[in-house]
Amino acid sequence: MEKLEKIMQDTAKHFLQEQKVDLIIGYKQGTIPLRTTPCFVTKPEDISQLVWNVCCDHDLTNFLLQPEYKDKKVGIIVKGCDARALVVCMAEGQIERKMVTIIGMPCPGMIDRKRIESELEPKEILVAEITEDQIHLKGKDFEQTLQKDDYIQASCKSCRYNNPPVCDVLIGGQPIELSFNDDLDEKLAELEAKSPDERWTYFTTLLSDCIRCYACRNACPLCYCKECFVDQTQPQWVGKTTNISDIMFYHMIRAFHVAGRCVECGACTRACPMNIDLRLITRKLQNIVKDRYGFEAGLDPNVPPPMGTHTMEDPQEFITEPE
Amino acid sequence: MKEKILPKEQLPQILKTLLESYKVFAPIKKNGFYVFGEIETPDEIALNYLNSKIPPKEIFYPRTEVLFTFTKSPQGIDIQEAINPSESRVIFGIRPCDAKSFTLLDKFFSYGKFKDPYYQTRRENTLLIGLACVNPRSTCFCTSINGSPFGEEGLDILFVDLGDKYFVKSLNLKGDELLDQLPGLTPASEKDRFNMTELLKKVLASMTPEIPIENINTKLEQLFDEEVFWDQFSQKCIGCASCTFLCPTCTCFDVVDEETSSSGKRIRLWDTCQFPLFTLHGSGHNPRPTKRQRLRQRVMHKFSYYPKTLDEIGCVGCGRCIIVCPVNQDIREVFKALQET
Amino acid sequence: MTVAEEKSQIKEEKSWEPKILAFLCNWCSYAGADLAGISRLQYPPNIRVVRVPCSGRVNPFYLIKALQAGWDGVLVSGCHPGDCHYLSGNLVARRRFAILKDIVEFMGISPGRLNFSWVSAAEGEKFSKVVKEVVEKVKKLGPIRKMVKE
Repeated sequence: MEKLEKIMQDTAKHFLQEQKVDLIIGYKQGTIPLRTTPCFVTKPEDISQLVWNVCCDHDLTNFLLQPEYKDKKVGIIVKGCDARALVVCMAEGQIERKMVTIIGMPCPGMIDRKRIESELEPKEILVAEITEDQIHLKGKDFEQTLQKDDYIQASCKSCRYNNPPVCDVLIGGQPIELSFNDDLDEKLAELEAKSPDERWTYFTTLLSDCIRCYACRNACPLCYCKECFVDQTQPQWVGKTTNISDIMFYHMIRAFHVAGRCVECGACTRACPMNIDLRLITRKLQNIVKDRYGFEAGLDPNVPPPMGTHTMEDPQEFITEPE
Repeated sequence: MKEKILPKEQLPQILKTLLESYKVFAPIKKNGFYVFGEIETPDEIALNYLNSKIPPKEIFYPRTEVLFTFTKSPQGIDIQEAINPSESRVIFGIRPCDAKSFTLLDKFFSYGKFKDPYYQTRRENTLLIGLACVNPRSTCFCTSINGSPFGEEGLDILFVDLGDKYFVKSLNLKGDELLDQLPGLTPASEKDRFNMTELLKKVLASMTPEIPIENINTKLEQLFDEEVFWDQFSQKCIGCASCTFLCPTCTCFDVVDEETSSSGKRIRLWDTCQFPLFTLHGSGHNPRPTKRQRLRQRVMHKFSYYPKTLDEIGCVGCGRCIIVCPVNQDIREVFKALQET
Repeated sequence: MTVAEEKSQIKEEKSWEPKILAFLCNWCSYAGADLAGISRLQYPPNIRVVRVPCSGRVNPFYLIKALQAGWDGVLVSGCHPGDCHYLSGNLVARRRFAILKDIVEFMGISPGRLNFSWVSAAEGEKFSKVVKEVVEKVKKLGPIRKMVKE
């Protein structure tokens, strides 16, 4: 990965020097171990700040939609999921293709620091070194080595597009094949086979921890509405309390709003302060849209999003037709 | 002020005694993180923690709380207050920083003429038993904000882990009374006291160096309009508000009415200054329209407005906002930058 | 009295009848319901009608809010595909409802609570049949408990 990091820095520097872009949005080292933080580089001499490692889990597409970058030529470092989110934004007319220079990174899967931290507590990681397949951790009175593959984020294990489907330059030139064992599809099938009551129990239990902080919405690269439905007050459709009915209402509508757009980047699950795993919902959304309209989000900016289009022949087996 | 010693194996007995007459809240592990929850048996408690991910403020100031309910009848509108005199409670194993946060919440909820009865009734009926931090995180900065890993502010009793036993110290009359009821305690010796002070020294030495924060409020005031200064931090903020939702001293709330044609209730819920809706006026004007202003508000409120109105910094240095931030926004970086200006 | 309160009373009387909220489009289904009335066709009295300009006007909020308020089921009915007064409103609605229904039922609401149909202004008889079928389906499911806000 260090090799890729160097190529990425050189490429980004080149773009800045040639004035192809006004700024580069990338990652730099964070202030605590196993963390990176978004960074915004405008000067070629600052390019060495940029890093690329398995802690670059944040979805930078989020920033592109913010007003301050609207009229700027931006270079952005993207993984497969981020690139797909970017493509959705383009398909929806939010971002102009010519304004963005996409620097694609073949993604080997990001590591799950939350799980590492949680398993180690009360030991605290002070120094972390990551090699090709191992994570060396050092703390006050301990030293430990973990196998990297055991601590890949769940959403990366179930990733289907780790290489950016659309980009201007693919760093390293070589896509990476992922081969993680993942049981998300089995889990989903298992849940789907259950009765509605069992599914209701599953989801109400899962979501009962929700504190309605909306971090899932804010972290989502595709939740860009100027006014979110939960913020609407005239009328107020969704109650703001942590009553389970309100929580379910919120999550149903949020799922509906990202149907056909969600690219399963896992940002919502990562951002959740209560560690609620929303991946079964997001995977279900992929399946619904694929089964019904043969559509996968984030692959082609020229294909209109499924909820923004329709045909006469759309399936309608759910329509009540009395004999 | 009493000082006692408790052998570690006696702790379950203590908890059992507490459970007989109190509702006990203690750290438990849930979904891979620690949180303060009600326990029913001593073995539910998980004391092997650095600090809870969710601050215990929720025990006094719940996320959603009904203030009163009302029903309409032909005779008029009938209002039922929802202040429940709460049962006697104990929070066991709270960290000194979180205990200190309650002294700030106390000030906030009894500021000026008005006392908040919802918070107050719960607070008055609750005893706080602290567990000193012998293993502070690298993100902890309580010592920079007049706190200490062995801090006593806000607590009734403090437990200090001395390896195979606890040094137990009552800090006020309420604490004294409770200690008298607890079994298995023996008086502390001079040596125990010495061990504790030595431990405190060791812990303090292991902590991240203090961040100088003197004159922080005047410095912040001067920087109020410095867009460049605030932009360097707000630029990467995604406005998710996890920092405020999981902050032990954040108190902002929203009040909503939920009504049907014949009845309804008024509900108080947590709100956050990190959302644009927080300051949106009815006219459509928003005095804090950008991330920059909202981040500035969070910093200014804690480090400038709090000292001005309540004479104390509105932060306890628990470091939760640093740990929980999805983009690694680190408030210590703001202090550092302040020193450099 | 709220729907929920009213329902709990009815439940006590052991003669529970489902309450169904129907959103009918102004141009087809509402006229179809009208025709059913003029033609004196019988259908169960369990529906309450909200007239909307088009089935495409029905926001998912309305449907989930109805369940939350204690309605046992909802029915949305519009013009047949191709006959929309606004050309494509019902086609937009069709995709929207398909996905909403999939999500809501995946999350545990029983199939049968959310219903959709196409009824033209000339189909008074079809309208009465649709209502009958929907009412029977919801009756089998019993009073709604899951989404109801206590």
